[in-house]
Amino acid sequence: MKKRTIGFLVAALLALGLLVSTPGMAAETWRIGALFPFTGSLALLGNESFNGAVIAQDMVNEKGGIQGKKVEWEKADGVDPKKAMTECERLIALEKIKLVFGTYSSSLSYAASEVTERNKVIYWEQGAIADNITARGFKYLFRTIPRAGDFGNLAVNFANEVVAPKLKMDAKKMKVGIMFEDSLYGTTVGNSAAKKAKELGMDVVATESYSHKTVDLSSVVMIFKAKNPDVVIATSYMEDAILFWRQAKEMDLNVKVFIGTGAGHGMPEWARIFGNEANYIFNIDPPIGINPKVFKGNTLAVLNDFRERFNKKFGHYPATHATAGFMAAHLLFEVVLPKAGSLDPEAVRKAALEVDIPEGGTVFGFGVKFAPPDNPAAGQNLRGIPVLMQWQEQKLWVVYPASFAVREPLLPLPTWEERAKGVTKFIK
Amino acid sequence: MDITVLQLIINGLLLGGMYALISIGLTLIFGVLEIINFAHGEFLMLAMYAAFWLFQLYGIDPYLSMVIILPLFFLIGVLVQRVTIQPIINAPPLNQIFMTVGLSMVLQNVALFVWTADYRTVKTTYSGLTLKTAGLLISFPRLVAFLLAMGLIAALLIFLKKTYTGKAIRALAQERKAAMLMGINVYRTYQIAFGIGSACVGAAGAMLIPVYFVFPSVGSLFVLIAFVVVILGGYNSLTGSLVGGLIIGVVEAFSGFFISPHLKEAIYFVIFILILLFKPTGLFGRA
Repeated sequence: MKKRTIGFLVAALLALGLLVSTPGMAAETWRIGALFPFTGSLALLGNESFNGAVIAQDMVNEKGGIQGKKVEWEKADGVDPKKAMTECERLIALEKIKLVFGTYSSSLSYAASEVTERNKVIYWEQGAIADNITARGFKYLFRTIPRAGDFGNLAVNFANEVVAPKLKMDAKKMKVGIMFEDSLYGTTVGNSAAKKAKELGMDVVATESYSHKTVDLSSVVMIFKAKNPDVVIATSYMEDAILFWRQAKEMDLNVKVFIGTGAGHGMPEWARIFGNEANYIFNIDPPIGINPKVFKGNTLAVLNDFRERFNKKFGHYPATHATAGFMAAHLLFEVVLPKAGSLDPEAVRKAALEVDIPEGGTVFGFGVKFAPPDNPAAGQNLRGIPVLMQWQEQKLWVVYPASFAVREPLLPLPTWEERAKGVTKFIK
Repeated sequence: MDITVLQLIINGLLLGGMYALISIGLTLIFGVLEIINFAHGEFLMLAMYAAFWLFQLYGIDPYLSMVIILPLFFLIGVLVQRVTIQPIINAPPLNQIFMTVGLSMVLQNVALFVWTADYRTVKTTYSGLTLKTAGLLISFPRLVAFLLAMGLIAALLIFLKKTYTGKAIRALAQERKAAMLMGINVYRTYQIAFGIGSACVGAAGAMLIPVYFVFPSVGSLFVLIAFVVVILGGYNSLTGSLVGGLIIGVVEAFSGFFISPHLKEAIYFVIFILILLFKPTGLFGRA
């Protein structure tokens, strides 16, 4: 009997607490929903992404907030797509949130943005890259980061604009081989590269997919040996990236240019495992470590301020994920919300669509222009691009596009025989 | 014959040799103890780590490290059998499955905790070494693994045919009760069989590390193929796992090249299903 009384009392107090705390606050602060996988298997990078946004919040609140009102997060833990949806519903129905900021993982973002769109609430995506998120014609969804498909496109553009002239080849006669692991990630990037290459009239000699859990990639090596591509574009996780490169050496596969598109070929482990054999491979990732000359206005100062603050608060310098979180939040706090004047979704939408930032205007170096609702990629930042880097001296250096580059790309890739002898014959 | 076809056969045989090597231990444990060891892949993972650390810390060549790894894994096998399998040897199959699946999860997560999820490789002088003859390419470490697999299987066959312990193991595999009545020490023989099975996978780990790499869940990539090989070969035949391994290897090499790398796993799983449907005892198994 006593237990029940206490239980009732606790419940009553909790209910009272909820009633008192929530509604009154809304008027004095900008309350923004933060939907991330804060716990569970995606937690590491989920938290890292959010931490980037927290620095943007610190910076704006230190200045006294936006139009005199501080920014405040209402955190929601979306560990899986189902939880992301229910948490999103909770934010909207109970917390009266008008803008949800998230999510890092594509499957979570895809599910949660269904809820916001239905409720005409803004969804501000900072880090999920799957193409399909902005392919649904949503009106209240905005994404700042480039899409997976943009990775494939950039690889082909590089082959077309840089590789072909350097190798004195007609781009239309260039033979392109494409390989990708067959999950959603690899398939999206691989297919976009194949499509772009065909659009430019290149000769796509092989498009091979495989399971990244395979223990043998000799068949892909054999196919490439038979079709002899000049350029290989590969989308691999770590284990298949290692396996392929080892088997390429075993079977003496030589191509002129090898472009990885994120994941496996961009990890520090790539150099740790292969040492000098890691060199001269290209990799595509969001723009980090770009040429500071690309930044305009005070952007470089903002980036440095962010990096130092992040290091001070979290004990390490920010990498891609944290920078993506910061970039999206900073854009929201400094440009979009001041213009909108309130969190009213229609006002925020209008302000977002009016954003027109040229190259050099964000900490990623690229500009911002959101695709309008009639565009097939409605809500996508059309100026968002990744950059191409190259492993030189076992480090990654940005080499393309030229305005972002810190080094010259070195081609062609030395053959295995040349590597063994230590000779390289790069074209000036 | 076309040089590409010859090269594919070589690739397939070398790959198949690797599969056979991994499957031998599984066959032995499966055939004698009639226990499906789901932790087999994790034993492989531990063996690869053992070879990796012996190389990394003491500079011991992976092939040479077998001198240490074989007895070590024999002992580990005996111990694991004594502690985890022995008590449930007469339990229903479901309980045994739970035990080995549980063991595999524990080992995987302990490895993750102790060694992190990093991918680790060894760099020996022969790691990427390839022999070139008449336009054909033969990876040296893969060839060594292939030849050692043959040698190991031959040695095991002789052991099972000629020695008392070998005969006892075969007797147990054929008929447990009758063997018991003939005065064979059942539990001791089980321990030895499990020990030999583990030693085989220990050897496989040491031979794989120069061509492959190790991380905590590497076993799960190989163990599925090992099961296909064991079923194909006939679940208690060592010759069967050799032939089965080679067949799967060659099928994979050819289907990957001529059909699609995307479908090569699907194709050998279709073979797996067909075998189960039409010859459940496998190629060399007895009814």
